[in-house]
Amino acid sequence: MVEALAVASGKGGVGKTTSTLALGMALAADHDVTVVDADTGMANLCFHTGLADADTTLQDLLLADSDAAVEDAVYDRFGLSLVPCGTSLAAFREADPTRLRAVVAELAADTDVLLLDSAAALGSQSAVLPLVLADRTVVVLQPTIPSLSDGLKVQEYARSYGTETAGVLFNRVQDDEAIDRVAEQAEQYFGGPTLATIPESDAARAARRAGEPLLAYAPDSAAAAAYRRAADRLDLQDRDEDAVADRFRSAVIPEPP
Amino acid sequence: MNGPGATDLEIPRGRLIRSRVGVASALDAAFSRELTGYARIEPDSLLADGEPGVVTFAEGVPRAAYCERGTGDGERRGDSHEPERPIGGDSRGVDALAALAGPGPCSVELYELPADALAEVHDAPEFSVPPGAPAEELADDPALAERTRDRAPADAHDGEASALESFLEDEERIAAIQEEARAEAEQRAAEWGLDDQLE
Ligand SMILES: Nc1ncnc2c1ncn2[C@@H]1O[C@H](COP(=O)(O)OP(=O)(O)O)[C@@H](O)[C@H]1O
Ligand SMILES: [Mg+2]
Repeated sequence: MVEALAVASGKGGVGKTTSTLALGMALAADHDVTVVDADTGMANLCFHTGLADADTTLQDLLLADSDAAVEDAVYDRFGLSLVPCGTSLAAFREADPTRLRAVVAELAADTDVLLLDSAAALGSQSAVLPLVLADRTVVVLQPTIPSLSDGLKVQEYARSYGTETAGVLFNRVQDDEAIDRVAEQAEQYFGGPTLATIPESDAARAARRAGEPLLAYAPDSAAAAAYRRAADRLDLQDRDEDAVADRFRSAVIPEPP
Repeated sequence: MNGPGATDLEIPRGRLIRSRVGVASALDAAFSRELTGYARIEPDSLLADGEPGVVTFAEGVPRAAYCERGTGDGERRGDSHEPERPIGGDSRGVDALAALAGPGPCSVELYELPADALAEVHDAPEFSVPPGAPAEELADDPALAERTRDRAPADAHDGEASALESFLEDEERIAAIQEEARAEAEQRAAEWGLDDQLE
């Protein structure tokens, strides 16, 4: 195990899943990477990876009476181990979020880098759990005030559980000149560097429509290149495997109300 | 208070056409009815010394902004010897948007005015804002921002520094956001039974 990173943002639609998969594929050049759609309330990794019809997903693993094995929900695609999450509302309601801990512990034992595509809203235990479980976070931002204030808020939530910021990604950037100033200013408030600024990109939208991660669909696009730079700047820290697994298993969380 | 309440910004009160709406629906309404007038924006949140502000419109397109709150380069309110005036002065243009933006809802009233009542303000570059900036920064609505930019006249504001830069310069404001988030996170951790995980 190298590190578990939660990819977080203050709100939905900023490109969290796009970014998680792109970072994952870039990191997969040197590491075994597992990507989990831990955004159980707004799961959409399956649509980015052609796994919308996957038989077994994280949703199944989170059901209290589940007899699915973790490995049943792992799909090898695009050089990654992917754990998609189903989008059934009924299953979401029935899910026991605390089971995520055991699932993540098992996955962590078997991979170098674990990326948790995390919930945007911070309104429930299941939404913050990825921030609790991860070693560090990558915060995805759009260059607007609401997105930055939400990003600062997520960072603070994560920090209160001892999870520091590994870096920041600015996504959907349109104004190249201004973003350098903004990124420099933002660095003073975030615990990690600006990993990259990702341009607004037709390729990113087309990749999503095609059901493929950006780095598979358009590896030569400017956005893909920016994500590879981001992955290079992310200096992963080696964690002790057993300690990580212990942490995931530790502390029994009471059932949600 | 006279009109929207800005001493240096002479705007008559005008005709109230909508009250108690959120910023997003106010900007949307102003756009669709091609409002010439202004929105009076009152932050509901207690965060970071919320003060009221104004965004003016010409035919539904935002033109100018003013906020009674400064953007943090002054002393804090309360250390002042002039209690009735917000410290750090007021803020104008994109700085005013930065002062008004942030998490938490606002209450907005929309007023209609004859175009000539706004001529002076709309001619003053210090108040000017990019047409799409209020939708983007106050309402978090990029689609409305795009439509607004499409309708804006070609010579509309095209300033250098953005509202976002002004926001990021306001260290005090950002510290307040962080403190509030930290307190909220800790309180919720207790509700969710995660308090033993706190550092
Ligand atoms: N850099 C970009 N340029 C253009 N569109 C993007 C970019 N990044 C993401 N998108 C698009 O934005 C939408 C939301 O992205 P997604 O990654 O699913 O967001 P989230 O997981 O944060 O909800 C998708 O349609 C995606 O293709
Ligand atoms: Mg997503």
